[in-house]
Amino acid sequence: MAKILIAEDEPAINDLIKWNLELVGHTCHQVFDGRAALEAAGTGAFDLLILDVMMPALSGFEIMPHLKGQPVIFVTAKAGVQDRLRGLQLGADDYITKPFEILELVERVKAVLRRTKGEMKEFSFDDIRVELTNRRVYKGGVEIPLKPKEFDLLETLIHNRNLALSREKLIELVWNFDYEGDSRTVDVHVQRLRRKLGIAHRLQTVYKTGYRLQV
Amino acid sequence: MKNGSFFIPATAPHRGATEKKDVGMKLRFWQKAYLLTLALFLICINVGILSLTVYTHGKNVRAAEEAVKAQQYYVAMSFERDMEYLESNGGSVALLMEGFGAHYRDKGLSIAFLQGEETLYSTISFPYEMENDTLTHLDVEGKRHILISSSVCDGAYQIIIAKNVDSLDVEFRSLMVLYLLTALAVSLFLAVCLYFVLRKLSKPLDSLRETTVAIGAGDFSVTAKEMGNDEFTLLAKSFNAMLAKINSQMADLASDAEKKQMLVDNMAHELRTPLTSIYGYAEYLEKAPVTEEKRVTAAQYIMSQAGRLQKISELLLDSAYIRGNPPEMGEVALHTLLSQVAAQLAFFGEGRGVTLRAEGEQTVIHGNETLLSMLFFNLAENAVKACSQGGEVVLSCKDGRATVRDNGKGMTEEQIAHVTEPFYRTDKSRSRAEGGAGLGLALCKQIVDLHGAEMKISSKPGEGTEISLTFTTWQQPGDGLATNG
Repeated sequence: MAKILIAEDEPAINDLIKWNLELVGHTCHQVFDGRAALEAAGTGAFDLLILDVMMPALSGFEIMPHLKGQPVIFVTAKAGVQDRLRGLQLGADDYITKPFEILELVERVKAVLRRTKGEMKEFSFDDIRVELTNRRVYKGGVEIPLKPKEFDLLETLIHNRNLALSREKLIELVWNFDYEGDSRTVDVHVQRLRRKLGIAHRLQTVYKTGYRLQV
Repeated sequence: MKNGSFFIPATAPHRGATEKKDVGMKLRFWQKAYLLTLALFLICINVGILSLTVYTHGKNVRAAEEAVKAQQYYVAMSFERDMEYLESNGGSVALLMEGFGAHYRDKGLSIAFLQGEETLYSTISFPYEMENDTLTHLDVEGKRHILISSSVCDGAYQIIIAKNVDSLDVEFRSLMVLYLLTALAVSLFLAVCLYFVLRKLSKPLDSLRETTVAIGAGDFSVTAKEMGNDEFTLLAKSFNAMLAKINSQMADLASDAEKKQMLVDNMAHELRTPLTSIYGYAEYLEKAPVTEEKRVTAAQYIMSQAGRLQKISELLLDSAYIRGNPPEMGEVALHTLLSQVAAQLAFFGEGRGVTLRAEGEQTVIHGNETLLSMLFFNLAENAVKACSQGGEVVLSCKDGRATVRDNGKGMTEEQIAHVTEPFYRTDKSRSRAEGGAGLGLALCKQIVDLHGAEMKISSKPGEGTEISLTFTTWQQPGDGLATNG
């Protein structure tokens, strides 16, 4: 997965972003002011920079022109359109306003990385190998046939691994917003995935919340 | 139907009247001035010239009459003398008359001799009718003649002489033509000159109008041109003064709005940061598989950020409280209070390697002790935060003046100007490494204002800051409670 630089002067928020991105498999490096961010970015070792707009020493906007086209997501506390526009005009790929939800953060990061780095091609855990590009799943080298929605569900769980997804969220992500079936559809598909792949211990039910693929 | 026929024609003239009025409204000031001046001038010049000409002509006619009268008198005298001669010496009266007629025909006079109603002799070639002893003007084929009749030889004869004075009228007519031509030329010249003069005079008014139109369209950067010294210039000047006032007030409003916007922005930032943390960690606890270490850290973050929210709300409430309730005032011994504050902060300072000290003389002021201690606590706390390891904060007072001085990092002019605004932090990045929400000094300012005191901040980057407060309510030694107690 990607190497991400987090520049944010608030330790609480810096940690929060780091923890969440590490959950879905990214490697994070933390800095707490603008100058350190600029130095770290200079190494060119990062796939993505997450920059707070208001930081000591140098603001996120001030750093921006020195970055030579590295992918950037701004984090801003200001909801004003002007601030967002300014960030995007400076060449940022996206922005997140505080307060943000974990899934939103993960989604934005994934989207930017997909544009800049390409799709994740495959994902493996235990004896399972998932080829995301040609939609095939192997268990111990043997291909397991999955129905389209079952594969979609597995893919969504992989992208948001280690995060509990509610049934409503899963319906939204896998079946589309306007799907009118009930949330039992999700349960049925989860059951099938567990049975076919033998991942009951990985695909966990989270109390009062939903399901989580813990890897 | 009777009414209908009454109403229909009644409306028609009204419409005509308003249309006429509209046309009148369309004329500009200079156009009106032009037309009126021109009309007045034309009337005056023509009436003047006409009356002058008529007067001259009348005078000439009278002069001609006098001349004819004189001639007539002379003719009458000669005739009477000659008649006397004829009476004594004999001769033909008819011949005498013929001689007179011939003689005066050469001088441009026609003569008629009458006896009663009967004309004895006449060289007058046109018909006439006259009373005795009168003067009359007669128009003969468009030519003026003056005729005078008089009796001679004790009423035995009437002599009428007639003179052609047509040259008078010819002269009058040619004079009239000359005058009218002159008037026309002068009028044309005037019309042209007046046009340009009025155009030029009304130019400032036009440019002023253009300026107002531009302002009406929202462009406040324009100014009216000020040329010369006339009323238009004065108007333009006062107009520009008004514009400058408006502009400065708009700038004030804009800066006011900017301050408010900044307050709102900062407020949003102050609230969003802890909110983000609290929400984020709670969500993390809900969704992620957590280790014991992360569970505790997350919970700590949630608590500390909730604490921050609380501090912000307290500061806002304090600030609202001070605004809403005039506090009770009493005697406050400043030096005692400063010593207490220094003691309260001693531990806080120790942690940062900063020493606090109170000095000066005891001075008693009128104020609210709680608020004042809040004030000095805030100021001293800020001073400690501005200092690095080994710094020193001195609280001193004397004669109703208190100062809080530090040798910390100091502030720039711009920072000083904004430092008492709510949520303003000298560090634009708003690092919270030094704690606080940026409401401290705003609160201090309120307390200072409440005491009618004056707060002065002087500071140099790198050298330190001195905040001095001058209280107007201090009691001189020897009066008030200080002596009585």
